[in-house]
Amino acid sequence: MAELASTLSQLASGLRFTLGIFFLTLLFSIPLGLIVARGRMSKNKIVAGIVRIYISIMRGTPLMLQLLLVYFGPYYIFSVKLADLDVGPFKYRFVATIIGFSLNYAAYFAEIFRGGIQSMPVGQYEAAQILGFSKMQTFFRIILPQVIKRVLPSVTNEVITLVKDTSLAQVLAVAEMFTMAKNLASSQVSVMPFIAAGVFYYVMNGVIEIIMNHVEKSMRYYS
Amino acid sequence: MNVLEMKDIHKSFGPLEVLKGIDLEVKKGEVVGIIGPSGGGKSTLLRCATTLEHIDKGEIKIAGETLVSTSRSGLTQYTDKKKVQEIRSKFGLVFQNFNLFPHFSVRRNITESLIHVHKKSKEEANAVCDQLLKKLDMLEKADAYPCNLSGGQQQRVSIARALALNPDILFFDEPTSALDPELTAGVLKVIRELAEEKMTMVIVTHEMAFARDVADKLVFMDGGVIVEQGSDIISNPKQERTKEFLAGYG
Ligand SMILES: Nc1ncnc2c1ncn2[C@@H]1O[C@H](COP(=O)(O)OP(=O)(O)OP(=O)(O)O)[C@@H](O)[C@H]1O
Ligand SMILES: [Mg+2]
Repeated sequence: MAELASTLSQLASGLRFTLGIFFLTLLFSIPLGLIVARGRMSKNKIVAGIVRIYISIMRGTPLMLQLLLVYFGPYYIFSVKLADLDVGPFKYRFVATIIGFSLNYAAYFAEIFRGGIQSMPVGQYEAAQILGFSKMQTFFRIILPQVIKRVLPSVTNEVITLVKDTSLAQVLAVAEMFTMAKNLASSQVSVMPFIAAGVFYYVMNGVIEIIMNHVEKSMRYYS
Repeated sequence: MNVLEMKDIHKSFGPLEVLKGIDLEVKKGEVVGIIGPSGGGKSTLLRCATTLEHIDKGEIKIAGETLVSTSRSGLTQYTDKKKVQEIRSKFGLVFQNFNLFPHFSVRRNITESLIHVHKKSKEEANAVCDQLLKKLDMLEKADAYPCNLSGGQQQRVSIARALALNPDILFFDEPTSALDPELTAGVLKVIRELAEEKMTMVIVTHEMAFARDVADKLVFMDGGVIVEQGSDIISNPKQERTKEFLAGYG
């Protein structure tokens, strides 16, 4: 019983990092994804081409590999001491995790956003133009709100995947929940910690589904 | 005074020349009806007048302001962005398929531009909106969303949205073509009322009886040119092509 309590409390301490990775990745990758989507649709062929390659690399290689590259790259390529890269109280291994996740998820979000933006009827842009809206106003007032509604189901899928993907941070030895579970499992010689961690992930995704369902419902006032 | 002047308008899409030198003048308070067979360039002409398409050659003046002109040396140039934006506030366009903003209520569809482009206060914008909705018999739908309105109601909202900006001239591209037959009457009635109030309008339509009644001047377009124009070309066509076209409408 005492063992279970200690298992849970250690997992809970790992949960801080898991949630940290989760929320910070969403915070950075969604706006970045919008910018990347914009770049992907750019009329400038060079910009569009570079962004296209970026997206294909991010989607075509393992996230785990990308995390390792972001973490070790500065040292092996530029001979920077990794300790020098800490940001305030955050170790570089955590910072690298956030950078890696954000760059990767931005690519996925960008493709979702692009699909949503391109599915908008041209008449919406034309009506906005006739009414005098600037390009910025048209995008943020007319287009984006409708795009959000259209892409919400795909975004929910990505968010759920992200919850599970946070466990990949173990390759950089970030003390997130899965790392803790693994350490506990080997010290206790038991699968209990894994099962407990599984329940945590499952509950988290359950909460996300409830929230996203709610958001989708709140947008059902129009079609 | 001419609210719209289009001179020698040429417009091609790739190799396809759609407008082959169109001249059109619309006086203040005048209602111009444009008729003609499919593919004749009617929509393209309206889209050029409303900046949705750029012309290759010619001159367009709206409310005295030059939008675009072609110099003697053959260079066609649009005025600067700021001026274009200013000219855009002088006309309205009513689309065949309404193009209302589905995520906005009727009220917000009408007031959004007043508030965020024309910098009117919310109270002022709402007052304009209420007055227009009342006139179009739609006041009780102010808080409805477009998806809950009939096609005819949606089109009336889109007319209100255009009128809210108090344009000098209003363009309509087949305003009733997307409507079920029983819903067209309400929209046509609104346009008739606007004509009585001396609103300057250019209306592309396939409703011949309506066009004949409401228009001060009728223009028959075919193959990218104006074949014939006048006040009674529907009841009294002179050109063979016009007669042939009208014969199709019994
Ligand atoms: N964006 C475009 N790109 C290429 N061709 C176009 C484009 N817009 C119109 N056209 C062509 O230009 C010609 C004139 O089209 P337009 O829509 O102006 O005709 P219309 O008189 O409005 O016909 P309708 O009565 O069917 O609406 C057609 O042959 C059409 O296919
Ligand atoms: Mg047309």
